[in-house]
Amino acid sequence: MTTSPAVPRTKTSVNNPRPSPQWWLALAGAVLLIASAFLSWCYVPALLGDLSIDAFPGGLQILMIIVAVLAIFFLVLRSGRMPSMDTLLDSAKALKALSATAVAFMVLVAIVIALQAPGLANANPGLFVGIVGAALMLAGSWQMASDPLVDPITVRLPGWVEILVIVVMMAIILFGAAYALGQEDGTVFCLFLVFLGGVVAALARGGLFSWISVIAARHRQVLMMGALAVAFLFPFTQNGSDANMSIATQVLIFATTALGLNIVVGLAGLLDLGYIAFLGAGAYVSAMMSHSAFAHIGWKPPFIVVVIIGAIVSSILGLIIGSPTLRVSGDYLAIVTLAFGEIFRLTVNNLDGNNGPRLTNGPNGIPGIPDLEIGAFNFGDTHTVLGIPLGRFANYYFLMLVVAGFIILVFTRLNNSRIGRGWVAIREDEKAAEAMGVNTFGLKLFAFAGGAFLAGMAGTIKAHQDVSVTPDQYIFLESAFLLAAIVLGGMGSVAGVLVGATVLKLLPEKLRFVADYRLLIFGLLLVVMMRFRPEGLVPSRRRALEFHADDQELADRVEEVHLEIAADPDTAEAKA
Amino acid sequence: MSTQTLQHSAPPKFGAPVLEASGVVMRFGGLTAVNNVNLTVREGEIMGLIGPNGAGKTTFFNCLTGMYKPTEGEVKFQGAVLPPKPRAVVKAGMARTFQNIRLFGNMTALENVMVGRYCRTNALAFTSIIRGPKYHREEAESRRIAQELLDFVGLGHTSEHLARNLPYGDQRRLEIARALATDPKLILLDEPTAGMNPKETEQAKDLIFRIRDKGLAVVVIEHDMRFIFSLCDRVHCLVRGETLIEGSPHEVQSDHRVIEAYIGQPDEDEEELVAEAHAHDHEPAATTPAAPASPAVDLTKEDRA
Repeated sequence: MTTSPAVPRTKTSVNNPRPSPQWWLALAGAVLLIASAFLSWCYVPALLGDLSIDAFPGGLQILMIIVAVLAIFFLVLRSGRMPSMDTLLDSAKALKALSATAVAFMVLVAIVIALQAPGLANANPGLFVGIVGAALMLAGSWQMASDPLVDPITVRLPGWVEILVIVVMMAIILFGAAYALGQEDGTVFCLFLVFLGGVVAALARGGLFSWISVIAARHRQVLMMGALAVAFLFPFTQNGSDANMSIATQVLIFATTALGLNIVVGLAGLLDLGYIAFLGAGAYVSAMMSHSAFAHIGWKPPFIVVVIIGAIVSSILGLIIGSPTLRVSGDYLAIVTLAFGEIFRLTVNNLDGNNGPRLTNGPNGIPGIPDLEIGAFNFGDTHTVLGIPLGRFANYYFLMLVVAGFIILVFTRLNNSRIGRGWVAIREDEKAAEAMGVNTFGLKLFAFAGGAFLAGMAGTIKAHQDVSVTPDQYIFLESAFLLAAIVLGGMGSVAGVLVGATVLKLLPEKLRFVADYRLLIFGLLLVVMMRFRPEGLVPSRRRALEFHADDQELADRVEEVHLEIAADPDTAEAKA
Repeated sequence: MSTQTLQHSAPPKFGAPVLEASGVVMRFGGLTAVNNVNLTVREGEIMGLIGPNGAGKTTFFNCLTGMYKPTEGEVKFQGAVLPPKPRAVVKAGMARTFQNIRLFGNMTALENVMVGRYCRTNALAFTSIIRGPKYHREEAESRRIAQELLDFVGLGHTSEHLARNLPYGDQRRLEIARALATDPKLILLDEPTAGMNPKETEQAKDLIFRIRDKGLAVVVIEHDMRFIFSLCDRVHCLVRGETLIEGSPHEVQSDHRVIEAYIGQPDEDEEELVAEAHAHDHEPAATTPAAPASPAVDLTKEDRA
């Protein structure tokens, strides 16, 4: 590892030469925690994915081993064995968060056993060993003092190491996603979320993510390829399971639509509350041109033509809505788009031959849409690739992946272009932008119609994937969820929207028992986000700045990253 | 009015008129902010626009640049009547800066200037997504011109810094660079030295001379009389929305009405205090070169005259 010469390396002497008693305490706790995973936690095999077997850690116990191993890694860091790593990561903060996660996790397991076994009498010694271990870890790490860190920007590893870090991270994401989707039991899934949240928080507090984000900024292309590879490989981990692939496809459609909306909201800064109507327009066009028994247009052009027609119809609707309203300021647009969403729903509800032309069958919608067939490839069939069966949903998943990739390409390229600069200028100061010659109205209208175009595209595929198209799929609540995904994930950020969309779509699917309260939970979640992190989970740097106008430290930091990347010959070349 | 006679005394070194505003009237309800103002600016000329607070200087600027549509009168630019649309005005070749700095704070200095290139480039959505060689050429060209302009105003080293992190004086200069990026024939500077110290003011003067030497016509609103009279070829004085006098700096400087209306207030200290107290409603009280209150005032995002 090479650090810049300005960084003093004397820091290790703070912890050396002899680890403190706290250090030993935490280490003992971590070892106990690992030991507990090899013991039985509970008599009842049916509970929490069977924790009743001795000497064979399974399910949730493995999660605790991961926590303990991470803790030991940070403890080793603290002992000063790896001085250069030590200045990069804040082991004390990470250890505290890890220990807290372990304690919370073990206590939750105990509570679940007490409630569902039922009774703590069914708990085995392993559980108590684990609780004690977690508590020891917490006690040991509680008093640890944080050390000053070096700025991750100044740290440079050899290129291949940095790329390896990205690859490993991607592999972990792939494995984690497959594991999470594989959890059938809602309680286990919840506990997994606790584990995931805790570990992510620990690594974030430990400074790992700020380091990784610097690496990712340096190797953008590797990151993109990695993410694509993970998304592409995901269906192969599912071994033909339609249930999970169905959820994954739903998530992907939702994420793709949210990405399209993110161009409107995140880049151009226009609040669109009726975006789902554009998705619906595409879906209806596709359904009507599908040769479904209930479709009233007998024409079935090749699918690529349907996609283009659906997208164009959507964008024309966008132009009709946008051209009168985009001349005035934001609030009006929000109201008009809200109304437009309702108009769309009511219109398709009524085009049933009684009130208007017979196009949509009213509330019944258009069912029985046949599967897509592109060339000889039927999307309804199961295809076996490398011995792994890929079913109907996997086929649509791959198709949506292509669309998502296209939208991401459009998003990033527009963002880093003359048009993207115009959008940022409009967001920052519309009057000044206009006075500098930026065509503000045209750019806003383009964002609006362009976003509608992409939604229409996604809609044409969604219709086939859903088999039927009905008005109640395209209600205001869906628009609100799309917007929530963007706000939660981070406006103007591709990764953020993917995270936000995944969270919002995956949680209700996996946590059926909270389905009744999901609006309440999302509402609370958004309120909490607005209070503590208004820029979203994974914000774009510029958006983060916009939300923290007074935060000089953040501005300096963003500038530093910017300077570093600009000064870097590799990335500068890639930029040009 | 003396305007007619004095125009003949304009030195012949200036070329054809670039900007001709005739009979411009701007009324807001019952208030006449600008009343029948004529202004002619020639190629290579530096025109000063002075007047006490609330005289209508910025309103007049807004009429010229299409931010307001004048109630009466017309503005001709290079012989053609300008449409009342800021964008069309910029495209025609007239750029401006703002009295209260209106940079895009969360963009870098270079990006700010590149926004100025917007109206001179034409990469559309499709081109931006496909990114053929033409797109890359245009982008590189924008970048090069923006960097040259940053060097020109002396900010070349700050190109990757966020605009909001720049010192106050640099922000003013960045605004000028951004305006220059639109390839103007005429640049309108609204109080370019407000809040600057004497040294920065001197640099600003030098910069404006260099802009003039590029062949641009310049119109400057300023309260700093020493600055105006040493900079401008001609000075136009507005009082309560009307032209008081237009002429060479010497003529304006020695005109007793100007002194009465603006410079020679009986009790200057008191005037200044009053002006400062009203600074939030009116223009910053920059009667002295370095008015420490001005930066804060200039950040309020209102545009009044």
